[in-house]
Amino acid sequence: MQIALFLLIVLGFANAGLAETLYVKKSDTKLQATDSAKSEVIAKLDEGTPVTVIKKLKRFYQVSEPGGKKGWVFKFKLTSKAPEKSSGGSGELLGALGGKQKIAARESSSGSSIRGLTPVSENHAKKKGISAEDIKAVKEMETFQVSPEEMELFLKEGRLGEYGQ
Amino acid sequence: MKKNFTILALAVTSLIWVQSCRTVDSKSVGDFVDSVSKNFNDVVDDMQGRGEQSRQAHAEKNAPQKKESLGQEAGGGGLIGVAESLGIDRQTAKIAKSAVGLAQALQPIGLEEELTLGGSLALEVVHKFGGLYKNPALQNYVNLVGKSLADVSDRPEIDYHFAVLNTDHPNGFATPGGYVFVSIGLLRLLESEAQLAGVLGHEIAHITQKHALETLKRSKILSGMSSLTMSAMNKNEGMFNKVILEASNTLFTHGLDKDLEYEADKLGMEYAYRMGYKPSGLQEFIEILDKSSLGKTSIYFSTHPSFPDRLLGLGQLLPQYKGGDHYPVLAARYQSRVKEQLSKVNGQL
Repeated sequence: MQIALFLLIVLGFANAGLAETLYVKKSDTKLQATDSAKSEVIAKLDEGTPVTVIKKLKRFYQVSEPGGKKGWVFKFKLTSKAPEKSSGGSGELLGALGGKQKIAARESSSGSSIRGLTPVSENHAKKKGISAEDIKAVKEMETFQVSPEEMELFLKEGRLGEYGQ
Repeated sequence: MKKNFTILALAVTSLIWVQSCRTVDSKSVGDFVDSVSKNFNDVVDDMQGRGEQSRQAHAEKNAPQKKESLGQEAGGGGLIGVAESLGIDRQTAKIAKSAVGLAQALQPIGLEEELTLGGSLALEVVHKFGGLYKNPALQNYVNLVGKSLADVSDRPEIDYHFAVLNTDHPNGFATPGGYVFVSIGLLRLLESEAQLAGVLGHEIAHITQKHALETLKRSKILSGMSSLTMSAMNKNEGMFNKVILEASNTLFTHGLDKDLEYEADKLGMEYAYRMGYKPSGLQEFIEILDKSSLGKTSIYFSTHPSFPDRLLGLGQLLPQYKGGDHYPVLAARYQSRVKEQLSKVNGQL
C-alpha cells in the first residue's frame, strides 16, 4: 500500500513536470482530429495561442487549446517562443547585456496596416533613377498572392508539410 | 529494515524508470536540454568575443554541434525553438558584444523601418539584376515553394514575397522585410523542387535571422546613432541614401560575414527538411553551381564563402537528418512547372 502510494506520488510529479506549453506561429493553423492532414479540422488557431502538449508523434503533436479542445497540429507550426506583450525596444539589448532572459519581439505584418513600398522607398527609388516599370514590378511582387486552396493542393500533391512522411 | 530497504529500492527504480520514460517518450526534451546548453555556449562565446572564428573552424564547430538537436525528433521549433526559448539569440548577443563599453547603441530596428530598407533594396535588386521575369505561372510556383517554407521558418508572421529575375546569371537575393528573388539562370540550373527549396530556404534564413539589418547596425554609417526610425529616415534623406548604399554594397558587392552565410546554409537545409523535402537540395545546388561554367558569374560565387567550404559545412550537417534521404525531391513537378514553362516561353518546345 505504502509502495503504491509512493509510486503514485512520484509519477504524479513526473507527469506534472512534463506539461509543455508551445505557441502557434501563425494564424489559421489547423487543429485536426487525428495525426493526419486528411483528418477533420476541429478548429483554426490564432497566432500566439498557447497550447499544452499531450503527446508527440513524428510530425504531429497532440495538444489542447485554451478552450479545452484537443487535437493534432503539424509540429513545425508551433514554437516555444511566447508572444510578447509589449514591443522590445532597448529592453532587448539591456536584457542581453544584463544576462536577463527576454523573449524576442514577435511582429506580424499580416495583421497590421503596413503594406507595400513605403513613400520613403518609392521616393528614394525615383530620385535614384529607378524606372517606373521596376517600381511597378516590386509592387506587383508584393501583391502577388497564392490562395489557401492552392497551397493545400500543392502540399498534398507533393506530400509536403503536414502531408509529409 | 528489510521493508524500508525494499521501499527505497523501489523508489530509486521508479525514479530511473520515470527518467527513462522522459528520455524515450520525449526525446526532444533531452535534445532540447542538450541544445540549450550548446546554444548557450554559443552565446557565451559571442559575449566573450570568441565568436569570430575562421570559416573552417566555424564549419567544423557548427556541423557536429547540432548533431543531437536535429533530426526527425526535433522539438516544436526544431533548432530555433532552442534559441527562442533562451530569449537571447546569436544576433542579440553579437549586438550586446559590440555594445559593451558603449554608452549608445542602435536600438532594434522596427518592422516598418525594416520594410522601408528592404523595399528600397528590393528595388535595387530589380534595377541592377535584369528586372522581373514576368510569367505568372512561374511566379506562382516559386511563391508556393517559398511561402510554404516561410510558414515553417522561425519568422512566419511577416509577409514574404517571391519573384523571378530576368537574368541568365544564376543569382538569388533576400532583402529585409521578406523580399526574395531567384533568377531564371538559377532556375534553369536546378533539377528538382527540393533543390529550389534549399536555395529559397537559404534566402529566407537571411530574413528570419535579420542578417542584413544586423550587419548594417554594426556599420560605421550608423555608429553613434541611438535609433533608426521612420522619422529619421523621412527627415534625413542624405542619411537614408548612405544607409541604402552601405547595405547595397554589403549585399551585392562585399557580401555578408561568412558566419552568417554558413548560418543561412544550415537553416536553409533545416527549413527544407521541416517542410518535408529531401534536405540535401541546397548541397546539390552548390555542386551544380560549382561544376557549371555559369557558377563564377553568380552572386553566390562573388559574395559567398567558396563552394567547397559550403559543401563541407553542409556535408557535415546532412547525416543528422535521419530518414530525410527518403523525403521527396519532386524532380518531375519541377520539370513540368519550371523547365517546361521556360522552354515554352523560349519557343523550344
